[in-house]
Amino acid sequence: MSRDERYDVVIIGGGPNGMTTAAYLSKCGLSVCVLEERVECGGACETVEPIPGVRIYPHAMLMYASPAPGFEQLELHKYGFRMVWNPEDMMRSLTAGNTTTQGVTRITEKDAMGFAKLGGLLGQPPFTRELMRATFWCPPHPPEVEVTDENTPYMQVYKKYQPDVCTPELRDWTMFELMDEFCESEPFKVTMAFAAWASGAAGHWEGVAIPALLSVQLLILPNTGKLSIPRGGLHGYFHAIHRCAVAHGAVVRTACPVEEIIVQDGRAMGVRLRETAAIGGRKIWANKAVIAAVDYKQTFLKMIGREHLDPSFIQKVKDISLKNGTLYVSTYHTRKPIQWNKKFKAMQESETGVAGPAKVASGGVYPSDSRELYYENVADCDARKSLPTLPPEKLMWFLTPSQAFNPTDCQGRYREGYISAAFEVNVPVPEYQIEGIDAQDKEKAKLDAYMRKAFSQALDGLEDENIIHLWSATGREVEFRNTGLIGGTWCGSRHCRDQSWTRRPMPELARYRTPIEGLYTCHQTTGHPGGLCLMAIPYNLMHILIEDSIAEPGKWWYPSPYYIPQKEKVSAIPR
Amino acid sequence: MKQKRELVGQPHPQCFFSEFPAESDWDAVIIGAGPNGLITAAYLARAGLRVAIVERRYEVGGGLATEEILYPGFYSNMHAIYHLMVDFMPAIKDFDMERHGLVWIKPNLQTAMVFGDGGSLLLTRMIEDTMDSFHKYSDKDAVAFGKLMRNWRRIVSEILAPATYIPAMPPIDLTVAMQRTDIGREMLELVEQSPLDIINNHFENDRIRAFLLYISCMWGLDPRETGIGFYVPLLIDRGMNKCYLHGGSHKLAGALSREIVRAGGTILESSDVIKINRHNGSVTGVELMEGRTLNSDVVISSLDPHTTFFDLMDKNKLPTDLKDSVERWKYDKWSFNTVHVVSKEAPHYACEDQWVDESFMTIFGFESTKQLLAHWDNVVAGKIDKNSLGGHATCESFLDSHLVRKPGHISFFQMHAPYGIDGGWDKRGPEIMEAMLAKWAKAAPNMKRENIVMAKQETPKDIEIRFPNMRRGSIKHGDYTPIQMGCFRPNEACSNHSTPIKGLYLCGASTYPGGLVLGGPGYLAANRVAEDLGVKKWWKPTKEMERYIKTYLT
Repeated sequence: MSRDERYDVVIIGGGPNGMTTAAYLSKCGLSVCVLEERVECGGACETVEPIPGVRIYPHAMLMYASPAPGFEQLELHKYGFRMVWNPEDMMRSLTAGNTTTQGVTRITEKDAMGFAKLGGLLGQPPFTRELMRATFWCPPHPPEVEVTDENTPYMQVYKKYQPDVCTPELRDWTMFELMDEFCESEPFKVTMAFAAWASGAAGHWEGVAIPALLSVQLLILPNTGKLSIPRGGLHGYFHAIHRCAVAHGAVVRTACPVEEIIVQDGRAMGVRLRETAAIGGRKIWANKAVIAAVDYKQTFLKMIGREHLDPSFIQKVKDISLKNGTLYVSTYHTRKPIQWNKKFKAMQESETGVAGPAKVASGGVYPSDSRELYYENVADCDARKSLPTLPPEKLMWFLTPSQAFNPTDCQGRYREGYISAAFEVNVPVPEYQIEGIDAQDKEKAKLDAYMRKAFSQALDGLEDENIIHLWSATGREVEFRNTGLIGGTWCGSRHCRDQSWTRRPMPELARYRTPIEGLYTCHQTTGHPGGLCLMAIPYNLMHILIEDSIAEPGKWWYPSPYYIPQKEKVSAIPR
Repeated sequence: MKQKRELVGQPHPQCFFSEFPAESDWDAVIIGAGPNGLITAAYLARAGLRVAIVERRYEVGGGLATEEILYPGFYSNMHAIYHLMVDFMPAIKDFDMERHGLVWIKPNLQTAMVFGDGGSLLLTRMIEDTMDSFHKYSDKDAVAFGKLMRNWRRIVSEILAPATYIPAMPPIDLTVAMQRTDIGREMLELVEQSPLDIINNHFENDRIRAFLLYISCMWGLDPRETGIGFYVPLLIDRGMNKCYLHGGSHKLAGALSREIVRAGGTILESSDVIKINRHNGSVTGVELMEGRTLNSDVVISSLDPHTTFFDLMDKNKLPTDLKDSVERWKYDKWSFNTVHVVSKEAPHYACEDQWVDESFMTIFGFESTKQLLAHWDNVVAGKIDKNSLGGHATCESFLDSHLVRKPGHISFFQMHAPYGIDGGWDKRGPEIMEAMLAKWAKAAPNMKRENIVMAKQETPKDIEIRFPNMRRGSIKHGDYTPIQMGCFRPNEACSNHSTPIKGLYLCGASTYPGGLVLGGPGYLAANRVAEDLGVKKWWKPTKEMERYIKTYLT
């Protein structure tokens, strides 16, 4: 007797993209199976308790997704979606100032107003949500449509609400150039450019000024100046998505890695599980579609036989750049709290992070003196691709908002001490690292010491005797935990102009279709807009699945107002 | 049943999305999403009740936790790993767990005990292999084991296992019922003996005695106590039938939670229940620390007695008997100290019989009954003798290659340990871990420093921090003693899973029949609530339960 299974749609990978797609498609009435390699779903939306009572978020830790149509369309509130509101945390780091080697510098009114204007907050009414949705929650235009200022979604929004932002250069600019136009102080621009580098689209990249700037704004503005996270972290947000999928009938199989996408006559028919899978190496057949919610390397270089793809396509896949913020993350458990040193008194005084008398330092970019310094960091990381050559005083780092800021969020039951916010440093993609793929792992102790020196430029409390534990993760350790975070990059492939929108990650894959009929991609490395757990790729993919007559959503569905249907396909706009 | 308001999302005044509301209405609210809470919720949700289950941790499962605490990509079963009752647990059949892709492995070689001279004893699924290993030391004991298990297997499969899922009976009724059959009478005779007496009466060889005593008492029986002797056949038989869940224990929690959600139930993690609300003596719901209220006339707690009755309710408004019984409640006599390791090679024991390396569980460190008893006596007295400790180890990746994602193995060594150790765990922890690793390396010489990539210890205090209702590291939420078992668990008024407080039910390990992932309390609580609310049960007793009811209860 065959133990094989059959569904309408088989989704490979139970991370945020795979599971959101499962929720959308099962809500359309399709039978869906999600296959997850690990013992629990969630992908990068993960919460762990490495030592009892200490909860940390090894990867995704901040909420970027708030404008997503998914909240409404999938009714996540029904499945337990809750927030932990943290009033004013980000507002204060915006108002307290920039941290430079000279101490705290002021954010000018022009900085704040310019930034707010670009984010759609100053419109009457504010058009933030529409701007965000246009930029991230809209599928790339079909190949036959030439992309112009007139049909670029964010350009259309600005034209409607804030026409003075629209200039002929806007789509060519770097985020630095954009800020040069609208903001004034250098440390502010450098802070935002660096935050963008760590959020997925760097401040110095050509032609991605608006997406880069908005990726930072996603963090701040949609929450109206409150840097808040879901209850239970991003894993809590993921739970609501997971449960929406299950409530609509999706079948979820954990500990079931996929070995092969079965292709017959150029069409994806299903998948074969790895022999170590919990239910053995059986085959799972797909009547309508196989959706690869895993990275492009696994999808095209491992799971599909070479005979099904032509060499030029394979070459392009191999050439996809991963340079997109491989972050070396450190979280400290300390006896006394880590705090801003005397030079940054204003930062320390404005801390709202942790309840109680001793506030833990959080939320900052250091040193934000100049873009020359920023470029020195870029050169070290992405040009030389080496272990750090900069002196620690020059290393730029990003300190996230506090991870343990709300006592009702349960896990802060560690016996003693304080948990720091997460420190993030950009490091080379391990496989590009000139000293070898395992250089960061081999030199981990040295890197930890080096970074500690860098953090100590602005913070007190990182002395040996104050540290109880340090959790740090190299790029490879990130990938090792979460196979889909290839290269340890947080947003997958580079969000540069040549790999974004209708070219993400290459024109052949931009609309989530692949050279294999019936195979679609749905992963931050392979589709617009990329990372940040936005529920955006699944929403965008829905348009395409409707075009291909796979999904037929009910009345709850609405497409992006800026979506352009592909010729001779079913339009995703309901009649 | 009262009409419940529809769950409407609560928008934040300045936000783009809605949240789960501040106040919501339910038919039943379950506190704690460990195995029992999940089972209760899953049965009731499928029965059509509107169910919410609230969990403090960020992930459901309680002791069903498979997590990366060592290196990324190496999963450890933090807590429950040996599933003893897979053959009988109604939830596995009722929810057709195979549908969820759950696969249990039951290796033939279940437990080995290795000795300093290279000798070993085996407990196996197939009885002949156990007997063969006994023959090395005593023909008489080997023969005795075979004969004994003829009836003991029946005592387990026909009485003890099905009774696990049938409400507790007062001792006198139980005694009368058991008189009906030979095996019933044999079981009653066992009750009155201590585990030590039972083992000593049937076996002569000291190694065999130590081996069987460890297996009988390892989950927390006092070897010298009478009144609990029926546990000896149960734990030996179940010790021959332990199962491992492929992909890790957490998969069971995942499957149960999907059953709840599929049936319309709601799961709220990262939420602490801080109060069980009452009005005119009846429960009206629960309050969460985050400020939300869940209204329900039925609240089912899977927590320990102190948390349920003292922390979540006004202790002074409880009936006196109930209050007294909670105050008298005794937590487990010992907890566990566990060292989890990642090693390059799997443990390779210095043992003549190489099959031992494949054992699901391997006991080492004890050469005699005397030494074993001395260790347990020490533990109960709050001590650990570093030179004379022992315990059991499992190499999880040997059974389940899925737990490791790069070359290497994952194992643990677990030993009985006091919660209140002399000197305190913070101070003694490091030296005890060293002593345990040294002991392990003695039994399995390749488990030396150069083979161990990383090691991490979970002390009894750590258990309590991770799972606060395992007070004092009590994995069963309370000791197994005659006055805390059967219809006395947690007390006479509550052992049938309802309580003197209207609308409040209990479904956790501190309630009959107890802990160890039996799924008993959760199943019985669901039955009780369904009966009290007049909800039609969609499930039927298993065939083993039906036979038991027919033989003994009708």
